[in-house]
Amino acid sequence: MAVMAAPENTPVWVNTSRCKACDICVDACPAGVLAMKPEASSVLGAMISVVFPDSCIGCSECELCCPDFAIYVAEKKEYKFAKLTDSAKARQEAIRNNGYRLPDEYKEAN
Amino acid sequence: MAFNYDEYLRLEKMPTLWCWGCGDGVILKAFIRAVDKLGWSKDDVCVVSGIGCSGRFSSYVDFNTVHTTHGRTVAFATGIKLANPDKHVICVAGDGDALAIGGNHTIHGCRRNIDITLIVIQNFIYGLTNSQTSPTTPRGFWTVSQKAGNIDPTFDGCELAIASGASFVARENVTAPKKLEKILKEAMEHKGFSYVEAMSNCHINLGRKNKMQSAMANLDWIDSITMPKKKYDQLSEEEKLNYLPTGILKQDTEAEEYCDMYKEIQKAHQGLRGPITPDDFKKKI
Amino acid sequence: MSATREIISSGNDLAAIAAVDAGCKFFGGYPITPSSEVMHTISDLLPKAGGVAIQMEDEIGGIAAAIGAGMSGVRTMTATSGPGVSLKAENLGLAQMAEVPLVLVNVMRGGPSTGLPTRVSQGDINQAKNPSHGDYKSITVCAGTLAECYTETVRAFNLADRFMQPVIVLLDETLGHMHGKAIIPTAEETQKGIVPRKKFEGDPKDYRPYDVPQDQPAVLNPMFQGYRYHFTGLHHDANGFPTEEIETCRKLIDRLFRKVEEHKDEIESNEEYMLDDAEILLIGYGSASLAIKEAVNVLRDQYGIKAGMFRPITIWPSPEKRMYELGQKFDKVLVVELNQGQYYEEVQRAMERHNIDKLTKTNGRPFSPADIIEKVKEL
Repeated sequence: MAVMAAPENTPVWVNTSRCKACDICVDACPAGVLAMKPEASSVLGAMISVVFPDSCIGCSECELCCPDFAIYVAEKKEYKFAKLTDSAKARQEAIRNNGYRLPDEYKEAN
Repeated sequence: MAFNYDEYLRLEKMPTLWCWGCGDGVILKAFIRAVDKLGWSKDDVCVVSGIGCSGRFSSYVDFNTVHTTHGRTVAFATGIKLANPDKHVICVAGDGDALAIGGNHTIHGCRRNIDITLIVIQNFIYGLTNSQTSPTTPRGFWTVSQKAGNIDPTFDGCELAIASGASFVARENVTAPKKLEKILKEAMEHKGFSYVEAMSNCHINLGRKNKMQSAMANLDWIDSITMPKKKYDQLSEEEKLNYLPTGILKQDTEAEEYCDMYKEIQKAHQGLRGPITPDDFKKKI
Repeated sequence: MSATREIISSGNDLAAIAAVDAGCKFFGGYPITPSSEVMHTISDLLPKAGGVAIQMEDEIGGIAAAIGAGMSGVRTMTATSGPGVSLKAENLGLAQMAEVPLVLVNVMRGGPSTGLPTRVSQGDINQAKNPSHGDYKSITVCAGTLAECYTETVRAFNLADRFMQPVIVLLDETLGHMHGKAIIPTAEETQKGIVPRKKFEGDPKDYRPYDVPQDQPAVLNPMFQGYRYHFTGLHHDANGFPTEEIETCRKLIDRLFRKVEEHKDEIESNEEYMLDDAEILLIGYGSASLAIKEAVNVLRDQYGIKAGMFRPITIWPSPEKRMYELGQKFDKVLVVELNQGQYYEEVQRAMERHNIDKLTKTNGRPFSPADIIEKVKEL
């Protein structure tokens, strides 16, 4: 298999030079790990951001759904991922309902 | 560790020309993972594409790659494959490319059952040229060439491929990338013509006036009009009018493959066997 | 003297035999009168020689499959007639742009449109010059004898690999269906003369297939051998990838012209018959030249008129320098062709003069020497 080294102790990471801010990965995440943040220099005015990495369950949905090779998830054998919690699910719902941006109430925790 | 797509990409071509959220990239990714699982050497693979957004597919992957004229992918690939029967030849075409201007080559590629995989990126519209009606645009949809609503009946590409004699026919959505990867791998492993319809989104040029302006809205719509074949088969004939089945729709491992049969022609002309007769085939007529 | 053989055959069959002797390994075609016999014969010969001949679903598929095989590295051919060339035109353009060697045999019949399928014409001269849209320089050779149906097809394969582009071989219905004796090189002799396309042998990292001098063709290695690059009909860069960069685009089309323009001497081929003491110059090509030659003999023997013939074998690029010289030497010039004067205009251009006569015929019948003799007597 074609493999690349993962950054140390990182469940999910992004290549911002490839991200086109389509929101698909944020939509695909079940655990409220990802959100778009405002980015004036990006074409659509937003950029992907890993906001709650500790909640990542390692499902890889974001990576599989990303059309632009911009997001990567570590292998399960190399990283101890979290379990999907109700609070993570609720956060995901809140992010989705907030136009894929992190709602203010989560910003402090972040 | 993570899967390294870069090993198969032409990095200087990144990012792709495709719009944000375009399903073409998801299909490209699934294709790369499938080839990686097959363990094929990059030198042994040839990717042939036509014209349209899907035409750029070939330029992004580090294989032997060909960007042909509009609709002619399967015809070019037929020459490449017959001249190099031991190599892997994969065609990528859009719905307009494969089913309108290139329809003749598609059906005859299926008919010959030559060992080529045709991936049709089916997004229901001409995307690159800005929203003209394609053979798969649903009736009643707005297109720039039929602003009062499309009245042209649609092709079911998979039914066409089945009727034309393709020995492997499947459909999968970009919303199910793992399934898509599995189907692509099986299609490429299959000996004979494999037709895979990858249902994809074009929220830019299909969605813009059909109430699906975001990738997610377009993808949700695709999910709403498709269902796995097993479930689809349970539907009444009337219910079936609203859905397209996904998964493997046909798999015939017994059908004679064209390159193999051509070897028999070579043998016959070289005096190594008698002429080919109806007895050489299971299906006589 | 090179080794030859005597063969009784037809023009169409000789083109097919020549292709296989020249190392052709792929043929993609579609039935069309009057060229179908090329496909009939090569579909026996190629599989015997380990190659492939396939009848595709249409003319476009025929040339597309042939170009595909050519891209992968093998010598490749298609054969058709005028209506088929019209259909193949777009892909001929792709082969010009991507620099894929290909031999296309066009057995000319009457046109436009379906025209006169079973009758002779030389109406595709202009089509051969620019079958596809866009800017490029065609190479077209035209057989004038049965033997040349063989030798010019062989030469076309070598030219295609030398210049990395399609080469059109023009036959016509008369030659294609003419059965007779031809003295042609042996297969071994033909094989000795094969000059395969250039190949880059260095490190794949250093390989830039389209990065070549401005007067040279691309160096396209066969597929599947470790040199992975890209073919496209779009304007492209040194590695074959689409680009709109201004200077790259300018240089590409400039090179497609210059690679042919600056090496015309390698492509040009003519026949001059009884020209040394001639007073009247007849110009013709293809099967018409058979009648012209006979007319020259009769005019000299029976009427004391010293006529001579100039016959371009390479039609495009035209032998303009030689035609200019001849235009200076001869007062009376008559162009004889089975169309309304397509090459006549090229002769006028090359000779830089307008006072040239023409004898044309577009009723589907060949010239008889009497047609020509009568016209010459009027001059």
